Amino acid sequence: MTDNTLDRRRLLTSAVVGGAGLVAASALGSLAPEAAFAAPQTIDAGAPDPNFAEGRITGIAAGMLYVTGSDTALHRIRITNATSVWKLIPTGIDAAAVGDGLYARGLRMDDGTLAADAVWINIVNLQAHIVAIGKNQLHLDHKGKRIVGHVVPGRSAVSYNNTPAVTDMSMLKVGRHVQVIGAWVPDTNEVQIATVYAGTHSH
Amino acid sequence: MHPWIPALQPLLLAAVLLWSARLKLAHPLAEAAARRSALAQLVGEARALPAYRAVGAVEAAVAVALLVPAARPLSGYASAALTTGFVAYLGYARIAAPESSCGCMSAARTPVRWRAFARAALLVAASVLAATAATGWPAALADHPVPAAALLLAEAAAVLALSAELDRHWLDQLRQLRVRLTSPLPAGGFDIPLASTVEQLHRSPVWHDTAGLLTSDLREHWDEEEWRLLLFTARHGEHTVSAVYAVPRLRYEPASVRLALVDEQTGQTVATHTATPDTPLPAWVNDRQPVAA
Repeated sequence: MTDNTLDRRRLLTSAVVGGAGLVAASALGSLAPEAAFAAPQTIDAGAPDPNFAEGRITGIAAGMLYVTGSDTALHRIRITNATSVWKLIPTGIDAAAVGDGLYARGLRMDDGTLAADAVWINIVNLQAHIVAIGKNQLHLDHKGKRIVGHVVPGRSAVSYNNTPAVTDMSMLKVGRHVQVIGAWVPDTNEVQIATVYAGTHSH
Repeated sequence: MHPWIPALQPLLLAAVLLWSARLKLAHPLAEAAARRSALAQLVGEARALPAYRAVGAVEAAVAVALLVPAARPLSGYASAALTTGFVAYLGYARIAAPESSCGCMSAARTPVRWRAFARAALLVAASVLAATAATGWPAALADHPVPAAALLLAEAAAVLALSAELDRHWLDQLRQLRVRLTSPLPAGGFDIPLASTVEQLHRSPVWHDTAGLLTSDLREHWDEEEWRLLLFTARHGEHTVSAVYAVPRLRYEPASVRLALVDEQTGQTVATHTATPDTPLPAWVNDRQPVAA
Protein backbone atom coordinates (compact mmCIF):
# COMPACT_ATOMS: atom_id res chain seq x y z
CA MET A 1 0.00 0.00 0.00
CA THR A 2 1.41 3.38 -0.95
CA ASP A 3 1.97 6.29 1.42
CA ASN A 4 -0.46 8.19 -0.73
CA THR A 5 -3.23 5.71 0.05
CA LEU A 6 -2.37 5.77 3.74
CA ASP A 7 -2.49 9.57 3.87
CA ARG A 8 -5.78 9.58 2.06
CA ARG A 9 -7.28 7.02 4.39
CA ARG A 10 -5.99 8.92 7.41
CA LEU A 11 -7.73 12.06 6.18
CA LEU A 12 -10.98 10.22 5.49
CA THR A 13 -10.84 8.42 8.83
CA SER A 14 -10.32 11.60 10.80
CA ALA A 15 -13.20 13.24 8.96
CA VAL A 16 -15.65 10.68 10.29
CA VAL A 17 -14.24 9.56 13.64
CA GLY A 18 -11.78 12.36 14.43
CA GLY A 19 -14.37 14.40 16.25
CA ALA A 20 -12.90 17.69 15.11
CA GLY A 21 -14.66 20.01 12.76
CA LEU A 22 -18.07 18.34 12.87
CA VAL A 23 -20.40 19.89 10.39
CA ALA A 24 -23.79 20.57 11.91
CA ALA A 25 -26.62 18.38 10.74
CA SER A 26 -28.56 21.50 9.82
CA ALA A 27 -26.00 22.06 7.10
CA LEU A 28 -27.13 18.82 5.56
CA GLY A 29 -30.09 20.14 3.67
CA SER A 30 -29.07 18.06 0.69
CA LEU A 31 -28.91 14.82 2.69
CA ALA A 32 -32.58 14.31 1.92
CA PRO A 33 -32.90 11.46 -0.57
CA GLU A 34 -34.91 13.64 -2.95
CA ALA A 35 -31.74 15.61 -3.63
CA ALA A 36 -30.15 12.57 -5.19
CA PHE A 37 -33.01 12.24 -7.62
CA ALA A 38 -33.36 15.91 -8.37
CA ALA A 39 -33.22 15.36 -12.10
CA PRO A 40 -35.04 12.10 -12.75
CA GLN A 41 -34.34 10.65 -16.14
CA THR A 42 -37.20 9.38 -18.17
CA ILE A 43 -36.74 6.03 -19.85
CA ASP A 44 -39.05 4.90 -22.60
CA ALA A 45 -40.96 1.77 -21.79
CA GLY A 46 -39.46 -1.24 -23.52
CA ALA A 47 -36.25 0.55 -24.44
CA PRO A 48 -33.01 -0.67 -22.91
CA ASP A 49 -31.89 1.31 -19.88
CA PRO A 50 -29.17 3.58 -21.28
CA ASN A 51 -27.51 3.82 -17.88
CA PHE A 52 -26.86 0.11 -17.55
CA ALA A 53 -24.52 -2.21 -19.41
CA GLU A 54 -23.87 -5.92 -19.24
CA GLY A 55 -21.56 -8.22 -21.14
CA ARG A 56 -18.02 -9.51 -21.37
CA ILE A 57 -14.84 -7.47 -21.45
CA THR A 58 -13.20 -7.60 -24.86
CA GLY A 59 -10.61 -4.87 -24.33
CA ILE A 60 -9.07 -2.70 -21.64
CA ALA A 61 -7.48 0.71 -22.14
CA ALA A 62 -6.54 3.46 -19.72
CA GLY A 63 -9.64 4.07 -17.64
CA MET A 64 -11.87 2.39 -20.20
CA LEU A 65 -13.42 -1.07 -20.49
CA TYR A 66 -14.67 -2.29 -23.87
CA VAL A 67 -17.56 -4.64 -23.37
CA THR A 68 -19.64 -6.76 -25.73
CA GLY A 69 -23.16 -7.25 -24.41
CA SER A 70 -24.98 -10.55 -24.66
CA ASP A 71 -27.22 -8.78 -27.21
CA THR A 72 -23.93 -8.05 -29.12
CA ALA A 73 -24.19 -4.33 -28.32
CA LEU A 74 -20.80 -2.71 -27.82
CA HIS A 75 -20.26 -0.59 -24.73
CA ARG A 76 -17.42 1.71 -23.74
CA ILE A 77 -17.37 1.97 -19.97
CA ARG A 78 -15.37 4.73 -18.34
CA ILE A 79 -13.95 3.97 -14.91
CA THR A 80 -12.91 6.85 -12.65
CA ASN A 81 -11.63 6.87 -9.10
CA ALA A 82 -15.21 7.54 -8.02
CA THR A 83 -16.32 4.23 -9.55
CA SER A 84 -16.75 1.21 -7.31
CA VAL A 85 -15.36 -2.00 -8.80
CA TRP A 86 -16.33 -5.33 -7.27
CA LYS A 87 -14.55 -8.55 -8.14
CA LEU A 88 -15.11 -10.81 -5.15
CA ILE A 89 -13.89 -7.88 -3.05
CA PRO A 90 -14.05 -4.11 -3.55
CA THR A 91 -11.12 -3.51 -5.87
CA GLY A 92 -10.00 -1.37 -8.79
CA ILE A 93 -9.92 -1.48 -12.56
CA ASP A 94 -6.53 -3.27 -12.40
CA ALA A 95 -8.41 -6.40 -11.35
CA ALA A 96 -10.43 -6.50 -14.58
CA ALA A 97 -9.32 -8.96 -17.26
CA VAL A 98 -10.34 -9.61 -20.83
CA GLY A 99 -13.00 -12.33 -20.82
CA ASP A 100 -14.55 -11.27 -17.52
CA GLY A 101 -18.29 -10.73 -17.41
CA LEU A 102 -19.65 -7.56 -15.86
CA TYR A 103 -22.61 -5.44 -14.93
CA ALA A 104 -22.13 -1.69 -14.91
CA ARG A 105 -24.40 1.12 -13.79
CA GLY A 106 -23.68 4.78 -14.44
CA LEU A 107 -24.58 7.66 -16.65
CA ARG A 108 -24.60 7.54 -20.45
CA MET A 109 -22.55 10.45 -21.79
CA ASP A 110 -23.12 12.34 -25.02
CA ASP A 111 -20.16 10.58 -26.67
CA GLY A 112 -21.81 7.21 -26.06
CA THR A 113 -19.57 6.07 -23.23
CA LEU A 114 -21.07 4.96 -19.95
CA ALA A 115 -19.47 6.84 -17.07
CA ALA A 116 -19.71 4.05 -14.52
CA ASP A 117 -20.76 4.62 -10.93
CA ALA A 118 -20.49 0.96 -10.04
CA VAL A 119 -19.13 -2.11 -11.80
CA TRP A 120 -19.58 -5.70 -10.67
CA ILE A 121 -17.22 -8.14 -12.36
CA ASN A 122 -18.16 -11.81 -12.71
CA ILE A 123 -20.80 -11.52 -10.00
CA VAL A 124 -23.26 -14.41 -9.80
CA ASN A 125 -26.15 -15.20 -7.51
CA LEU A 126 -26.97 -18.92 -7.36
CA GLN A 127 -29.80 -20.82 -5.72
CA ALA A 128 -28.37 -24.29 -5.31
CA HIS A 129 -28.01 -27.18 -2.96
CA ILE A 130 -24.84 -28.66 -1.55
CA VAL A 131 -24.11 -32.12 -2.97
CA ALA A 132 -20.68 -32.57 -1.44
CA ILE A 133 -18.08 -30.71 0.57
CA GLY A 134 -14.34 -30.97 -0.14
CA LYS A 135 -11.26 -29.22 1.16
CA ASN A 136 -12.29 -25.52 0.99
CA GLN A 137 -14.83 -26.43 -1.68
CA LEU A 138 -18.58 -26.64 -1.91
CA HIS A 139 -19.90 -28.83 -4.71
CA LEU A 140 -23.21 -27.34 -5.71
CA ASP A 141 -26.10 -28.60 -7.78
CA HIS A 142 -27.57 -25.65 -9.65
CA LYS A 143 -30.57 -26.63 -11.77
CA GLY A 144 -29.02 -30.05 -12.35
CA LYS A 145 -25.59 -28.69 -13.25
CA ARG A 146 -22.57 -29.14 -11.04
CA ILE A 147 -20.77 -26.02 -9.84
CA VAL A 148 -17.66 -25.93 -7.69
CA GLY A 149 -17.63 -23.12 -5.14
CA HIS A 150 -14.17 -22.25 -3.82
CA VAL A 151 -13.89 -20.93 -0.30
CA VAL A 152 -11.49 -17.98 -0.19
CA PRO A 153 -10.06 -17.99 3.33
CA GLY A 154 -10.52 -14.64 5.03
CA ARG A 155 -13.01 -13.49 2.39
CA SER A 156 -15.79 -16.04 2.12
CA ALA A 157 -18.49 -15.66 4.73
CA VAL A 158 -21.72 -17.39 5.68
CA SER A 159 -24.93 -15.92 6.97
CA TYR A 160 -26.89 -18.60 8.85
CA ASN A 161 -30.62 -18.00 9.16
CA ASN A 162 -30.19 -14.33 8.17
CA THR A 163 -27.94 -13.56 11.12
CA PRO A 164 -24.82 -11.41 10.58
CA ALA A 165 -22.24 -13.14 8.42
CA VAL A 166 -19.39 -15.12 10.02
CA THR A 167 -16.29 -16.79 8.62
CA ASP A 168 -17.14 -20.12 10.30
CA MET A 169 -18.43 -22.33 7.47
CA SER A 170 -18.47 -25.56 9.43
CA MET A 171 -22.24 -25.55 9.90
CA LEU A 172 -22.90 -25.98 6.18
CA LYS A 173 -24.37 -29.42 5.51
CA VAL A 174 -24.50 -31.73 2.52
CA GLY A 175 -28.00 -31.84 1.03
CA ARG A 176 -29.04 -28.37 2.23
CA HIS A 177 -30.23 -25.53 0.06
CA VAL A 178 -28.05 -22.40 -0.08
CA GLN A 179 -27.88 -19.08 -1.87
CA VAL A 180 -24.37 -18.20 -3.02
CA ILE A 181 -23.10 -14.79 -4.06
CA GLY A 182 -19.74 -15.16 -5.70
CA ALA A 183 -17.36 -14.35 -8.51
CA TRP A 184 -17.58 -16.65 -11.49
CA VAL A 185 -14.28 -17.91 -12.91
CA PRO A 186 -14.81 -17.21 -16.64
CA ASP A 187 -15.40 -20.21 -18.92
CA THR A 188 -15.45 -22.74 -16.10
CA ASN A 189 -18.09 -24.16 -13.79
CA GLU A 190 -16.32 -22.65 -10.79
CA VAL A 191 -17.09 -19.68 -8.58
CA GLN A 192 -15.18 -18.03 -5.77
CA ILE A 193 -17.51 -17.64 -2.84
CA ALA A 194 -18.21 -14.21 -1.40
CA THR A 195 -21.22 -14.95 0.80
CA VAL A 196 -23.33 -18.03 1.40
CA TYR A 197 -26.83 -17.66 2.81
CA ALA A 198 -27.85 -20.86 4.54
CA GLY A 199 -30.48 -22.18 6.89
CA THR A 200 -29.56 -24.58 9.64
CA HIS A 201 -33.00 -26.13 9.98
CA SER A 202 -33.62 -29.39 8.18
CA HIS A 203 -36.52 -29.56 5.79
CA MET B 1 -26.71 -69.13 -16.02
CA HIS B 2 -28.16 -70.89 -13.03
CA PRO B 3 -31.86 -71.40 -13.50
CA TRP B 4 -32.61 -69.94 -10.06
CA ILE B 5 -31.34 -66.50 -11.09
CA PRO B 6 -34.21 -65.68 -13.52
CA ALA B 7 -36.64 -67.26 -11.09
CA LEU B 8 -35.74 -64.69 -8.40
CA GLN B 9 -36.18 -61.60 -10.57
CA PRO B 10 -39.93 -61.30 -9.89
CA LEU B 11 -39.12 -60.63 -6.24
CA LEU B 12 -36.87 -57.68 -7.05
CA LEU B 13 -39.29 -56.30 -9.63
CA ALA B 14 -42.27 -56.67 -7.32
CA ALA B 15 -40.44 -54.86 -4.51
CA VAL B 16 -39.46 -51.96 -6.77
CA LEU B 17 -42.90 -51.71 -8.36
CA LEU B 18 -44.72 -51.84 -5.02
CA TRP B 19 -42.45 -49.09 -3.66
CA SER B 20 -43.13 -47.02 -6.74
CA ALA B 21 -46.89 -47.73 -6.66
CA ARG B 22 -47.07 -46.73 -3.00
CA LEU B 23 -45.76 -43.26 -3.91
CA LYS B 24 -48.29 -42.83 -6.68
CA LEU B 25 -51.34 -44.23 -4.85
CA ALA B 26 -50.84 -43.54 -1.16
CA HIS B 27 -48.26 -40.78 -0.70
CA PRO B 28 -49.63 -37.48 0.68
CA LEU B 29 -47.47 -35.55 -1.81
CA ALA B 30 -48.52 -37.64 -4.82
CA GLU B 31 -50.42 -34.76 -6.35
CA ALA B 32 -47.41 -32.44 -6.24
CA ALA B 33 -45.17 -35.20 -7.59
CA ALA B 34 -47.58 -35.74 -10.48
CA ARG B 35 -47.72 -32.05 -11.33
CA ARG B 36 -43.92 -31.76 -11.36
CA SER B 37 -43.42 -34.86 -13.48
CA ALA B 38 -43.21 -34.92 -17.26
CA LEU B 39 -46.69 -36.51 -17.25
CA ALA B 40 -48.12 -33.02 -16.78
CA GLN B 41 -46.62 -32.10 -20.12
CA LEU B 42 -47.47 -35.42 -21.78
CA VAL B 43 -51.19 -35.67 -20.90
CA GLY B 44 -51.96 -32.15 -19.69
CA GLU B 45 -51.94 -30.57 -16.25
CA ALA B 46 -55.51 -31.57 -15.43
CA ARG B 47 -55.06 -35.25 -16.33
CA ALA B 48 -51.60 -35.60 -14.75
CA LEU B 49 -52.86 -36.86 -11.38
CA PRO B 50 -55.32 -39.46 -12.75
CA ALA B 51 -52.65 -40.67 -15.18
CA TYR B 52 -50.11 -40.83 -12.36
CA ARG B 53 -52.51 -42.84 -10.20
CA ALA B 54 -53.29 -45.13 -13.14
CA VAL B 55 -49.57 -45.85 -13.61
CA GLY B 56 -49.38 -46.63 -9.90
CA ALA B 57 -52.35 -49.02 -10.19
CA VAL B 58 -50.74 -50.81 -13.15
CA GLU B 59 -47.47 -51.08 -11.23
CA ALA B 60 -49.27 -52.56 -8.23
CA ALA B 61 -51.18 -55.04 -10.43
CA VAL B 62 -48.01 -56.19 -12.23
CA ALA B 63 -46.21 -56.48 -8.87
CA VAL B 64 -48.95 -58.72 -7.50
CA ALA B 65 -48.95 -60.82 -10.68
CA LEU B 66 -45.17 -61.24 -10.43
CA LEU B 67 -45.58 -62.60 -6.91
CA VAL B 68 -48.08 -65.24 -8.07
CA PRO B 69 -46.01 -68.10 -9.58
CA ALA B 70 -49.02 -69.30 -11.58
CA ALA B 71 -49.00 -66.04 -13.60
CA ARG B 72 -45.63 -66.96 -15.13
CA PRO B 73 -44.49 -66.17 -17.83
CA LEU B 74 -47.29 -63.69 -18.59
CA SER B 75 -46.35 -61.52 -15.59
CA GLY B 76 -42.78 -61.35 -16.93
CA TYR B 77 -44.04 -60.08 -20.30
CA ALA B 78 -46.23 -57.52 -18.57
CA SER B 79 -43.29 -56.36 -16.47
CA ALA B 80 -41.06 -56.12 -19.55
CA ALA B 81 -43.70 -54.04 -21.33
CA LEU B 82 -44.14 -51.77 -18.28
CA THR B 83 -40.41 -51.21 -17.70
CA THR B 84 -39.82 -50.57 -21.41
CA GLY B 85 -42.56 -47.97 -21.05
CA PHE B 86 -40.52 -46.42 -18.21
CA VAL B 87 -37.50 -46.07 -20.53
CA ALA B 88 -39.68 -44.45 -23.19
CA TYR B 89 -41.19 -42.10 -20.60
CA LEU B 90 -37.73 -41.11 -19.37
CA GLY B 91 -36.61 -40.44 -22.93
CA TYR B 92 -39.67 -38.26 -23.46
CA ALA B 93 -39.06 -36.41 -20.18
CA ARG B 94 -35.41 -35.82 -21.02
CA ILE B 95 -36.25 -34.31 -24.41
CA ALA B 96 -39.61 -32.60 -23.90
CA ALA B 97 -39.39 -31.47 -20.27
CA PRO B 98 -35.75 -31.64 -19.12
CA GLU B 99 -36.43 -29.66 -15.93
CA SER B 100 -39.37 -31.82 -14.86
CA SER B 101 -39.10 -34.28 -12.02
CA CYS B 102 -38.89 -38.02 -12.62
CA GLY B 103 -41.75 -38.75 -10.19
CA CYS B 104 -40.50 -42.33 -10.18
CA MET B 105 -39.83 -43.55 -6.68
CA SER B 106 -40.00 -40.51 -4.43
CA ALA B 107 -41.94 -37.26 -4.17
CA ALA B 108 -38.59 -35.46 -3.85
CA ARG B 109 -37.89 -33.38 -6.93
CA THR B 110 -35.48 -35.38 -9.09
CA PRO B 111 -34.62 -34.36 -12.64
CA VAL B 112 -34.12 -37.23 -15.10
CA ARG B 113 -30.41 -38.02 -15.45
CA TRP B 114 -28.36 -41.01 -16.59
CA ARG B 115 -28.93 -42.89 -13.35
CA ALA B 116 -32.68 -42.97 -13.99
CA PHE B 117 -32.02 -44.52 -17.42
CA ALA B 118 -29.57 -47.05 -15.97
CA ARG B 119 -32.12 -48.07 -13.34
CA ALA B 120 -34.88 -48.46 -15.93
CA ALA B 121 -32.54 -50.53 -18.11
CA LEU B 122 -31.75 -52.74 -15.11
CA LEU B 123 -35.48 -53.29 -14.57
CA VAL B 124 -36.01 -54.14 -18.25
CA ALA B 125 -33.21 -56.72 -18.05
CA ALA B 126 -34.67 -58.19 -14.86
CA SER B 127 -38.11 -58.37 -16.53
CA VAL B 128 -36.74 -60.19 -19.58
CA LEU B 129 -34.98 -62.63 -17.28
CA ALA B 130 -38.17 -63.10 -15.27
CA ALA B 131 -40.09 -63.95 -18.44
CA THR B 132 -37.61 -66.75 -19.18
CA ALA B 133 -37.74 -68.29 -15.71
CA ALA B 134 -38.40 -72.02 -15.70
CA THR B 135 -39.39 -72.26 -12.04
CA GLY B 136 -41.25 -70.11 -9.59
CA TRP B 137 -39.45 -67.97 -7.01
CA PRO B 138 -40.60 -69.92 -3.91
CA ALA B 139 -38.83 -73.04 -5.20
CA ALA B 140 -35.66 -71.14 -6.16
CA LEU B 141 -35.57 -69.44 -2.76
CA ALA B 142 -36.01 -72.75 -0.96
CA ASP B 143 -33.30 -74.52 -3.00
CA HIS B 144 -30.59 -71.82 -2.84
CA PRO B 145 -31.41 -69.63 0.16
CA VAL B 146 -27.94 -68.06 0.69
CA PRO B 147 -26.93 -67.19 -2.89
CA ALA B 148 -30.51 -66.09 -3.54
CA ALA B 149 -30.42 -63.66 -0.62
CA ALA B 150 -27.01 -62.38 -1.72
CA LEU B 151 -28.21 -61.80 -5.30
CA LEU B 152 -31.38 -60.00 -4.21
CA LEU B 153 -29.40 -57.80 -1.82
CA ALA B 154 -26.89 -56.91 -4.55
CA GLU B 155 -29.69 -56.09 -6.99
CA ALA B 156 -31.50 -54.00 -4.40
CA ALA B 157 -28.27 -52.15 -3.67
CA ALA B 158 -27.84 -51.46 -7.40
CA VAL B 159 -31.37 -50.05 -7.63
CA LEU B 160 -30.73 -47.91 -4.55
CA ALA B 161 -27.42 -46.62 -5.94
CA LEU B 162 -29.11 -45.71 -9.23
CA SER B 163 -31.97 -43.86 -7.50
CA ALA B 164 -30.98 -40.20 -7.30
CA GLU B 165 -34.14 -39.49 -5.30
CA LEU B 166 -32.94 -41.74 -2.48
CA ASP B 167 -29.48 -40.12 -2.23
CA ARG B 168 -30.46 -38.04 0.76
CA HIS B 169 -31.08 -41.19 2.77
CA TRP B 170 -27.60 -42.62 2.30
CA LEU B 171 -25.22 -40.72 -0.03
CA ASP B 172 -25.73 -37.33 1.64
CA GLN B 173 -25.39 -38.96 5.05
CA LEU B 174 -22.12 -40.64 4.06
CA ARG B 175 -20.74 -37.41 2.64
CA GLN B 176 -21.81 -35.47 5.72
CA LEU B 177 -20.12 -38.10 7.87
CA ARG B 178 -16.90 -37.57 5.92
CA VAL B 179 -17.27 -33.81 6.44
CA ARG B 180 -17.64 -34.38 10.17
CA LEU B 181 -14.50 -36.52 10.23
CA THR B 182 -12.28 -34.34 8.03
CA SER B 183 -13.60 -30.78 8.71
CA PRO B 184 -12.69 -29.45 5.26
CA LEU B 185 -14.17 -25.97 5.74
CA PRO B 186 -12.79 -23.12 7.86
CA ALA B 187 -14.26 -23.15 11.36
CA GLY B 188 -14.00 -20.76 14.27
CA GLY B 189 -12.01 -17.60 13.82
CA PHE B 190 -13.00 -14.24 15.24
CA ASP B 191 -12.48 -12.19 12.11
CA ILE B 192 -15.50 -10.09 11.31
CA PRO B 193 -16.18 -10.57 7.59
CA LEU B 194 -16.85 -7.54 5.45
CA ALA B 195 -20.35 -8.84 4.66
CA SER B 196 -21.23 -8.60 8.35
CA THR B 197 -20.07 -4.97 8.57
CA VAL B 198 -21.94 -4.03 5.40
CA GLU B 199 -25.08 -5.61 6.80
CA GLN B 200 -24.72 -3.65 10.02
CA LEU B 201 -24.35 -0.50 7.93
CA HIS B 202 -27.52 -1.33 6.02
CA ARG B 203 -29.44 -1.61 9.27
CA SER B 204 -28.23 1.69 10.66
CA PRO B 205 -30.36 4.84 10.89
CA VAL B 206 -27.59 6.87 9.25
CA TRP B 207 -27.74 4.59 6.21
CA HIS B 208 -31.51 5.01 5.99
CA ASP B 209 -31.06 8.79 5.95
CA THR B 210 -28.23 8.91 3.44
CA ALA B 211 -28.27 5.84 1.17
CA GLY B 212 -30.15 7.87 -1.43
CA LEU B 213 -27.14 10.12 -1.90
CA LEU B 214 -24.83 7.30 -2.89
CA THR B 215 -23.99 6.72 -6.52
CA SER B 216 -21.51 3.86 -6.20
CA ASP B 217 -21.29 0.55 -4.41
CA LEU B 218 -18.56 -0.05 -1.80
CA ARG B 219 -15.27 1.25 -3.16
CA GLU B 220 -12.81 0.61 -0.37
CA HIS B 221 -12.67 -0.45 3.24
CA TRP B 222 -10.10 -0.44 6.03
CA ASP B 223 -9.97 -0.92 9.77
CA GLU B 224 -9.03 1.73 12.30
CA GLU B 225 -9.06 0.52 15.90
CA GLU B 226 -12.69 -0.07 16.88
CA TRP B 227 -14.04 1.15 13.56
CA ARG B 228 -14.30 -0.32 10.10
CA LEU B 229 -14.43 2.41 7.48
CA LEU B 230 -16.46 1.90 4.34
CA LEU B 231 -15.99 4.27 1.43
CA PHE B 232 -18.62 5.08 -1.21
CA THR B 233 -19.11 7.81 -3.78
CA ALA B 234 -21.98 10.23 -3.13
CA ARG B 235 -23.56 13.22 -4.73
CA HIS B 236 -23.67 16.38 -2.65
CA GLY B 237 -25.48 19.09 -4.51
CA GLU B 238 -23.63 19.43 -7.79
CA HIS B 239 -20.45 17.82 -6.45
CA THR B 240 -19.22 14.26 -6.38
CA VAL B 241 -17.82 13.53 -2.94
CA SER B 242 -16.60 10.54 -0.97
CA ALA B 243 -18.94 9.13 1.65
CA VAL B 244 -17.01 7.60 4.56
CA TYR B 245 -19.08 5.50 6.93
CA ALA B 246 -17.56 4.46 10.25
CA VAL B 247 -19.17 1.22 11.47
CA PRO B 248 -18.35 -0.42 14.83
CA ARG B 249 -16.06 -3.29 13.96
CA LEU B 250 -16.38 -5.68 16.88
CA ARG B 251 -19.76 -4.57 18.24
CA TYR B 252 -23.21 -4.85 16.72
CA GLU B 253 -24.49 -1.35 17.28
CA PRO B 254 -26.05 0.09 14.10
CA ALA B 255 -27.10 3.28 15.90
CA SER B 256 -23.42 4.20 16.33
CA VAL B 257 -22.76 4.31 12.59
CA ARG B 258 -21.63 7.74 11.43
CA LEU B 259 -20.95 9.38 8.11
CA ALA B 260 -18.72 12.09 6.73
CA LEU B 261 -18.95 13.45 3.20
CA VAL B 262 -15.48 14.51 2.11
CA ASP B 263 -14.48 16.34 -1.04
CA GLU B 264 -11.25 14.53 -1.81
CA GLN B 265 -10.10 17.21 -4.25
CA THR B 266 -9.93 19.83 -1.53
CA GLY B 267 -9.76 17.61 1.56
CA GLN B 268 -12.79 19.44 2.93
CA THR B 269 -15.42 17.68 5.02
CA VAL B 270 -18.62 18.98 3.52
CA ALA B 271 -21.05 17.27 5.86
CA THR B 272 -21.27 14.77 8.69
CA HIS B 273 -24.19 12.79 9.97
CA THR B 274 -24.87 10.69 13.06
CA ALA B 275 -28.02 9.06 14.35
CA THR B 276 -30.25 11.18 16.54
CA PRO B 277 -29.57 9.98 20.07
CA ASP B 278 -32.43 8.85 22.30
CA THR B 279 -34.06 11.91 23.82
CA PRO B 280 -33.66 12.13 27.61
CA LEU B 281 -36.81 11.00 29.36
CA PRO B 282 -38.90 14.02 30.39
CA ALA B 283 -39.35 14.73 34.07
CA TRP B 284 -43.01 13.75 34.04
CA VAL B 285 -42.06 10.19 33.17
CA ASN B 286 -39.83 9.76 36.22
CA ASP B 287 -41.52 12.06 38.72
CA ARG B 288 -45.08 10.96 38.35
CA GLN B 289 -47.21 11.78 41.35
CA PRO B 290 -50.27 9.77 42.22
CA VAL B 291 -53.35 11.52 41.01
CA ALA B 292 -55.28 12.97 43.92
CA ALA B 293 -58.64 11.42 44.42
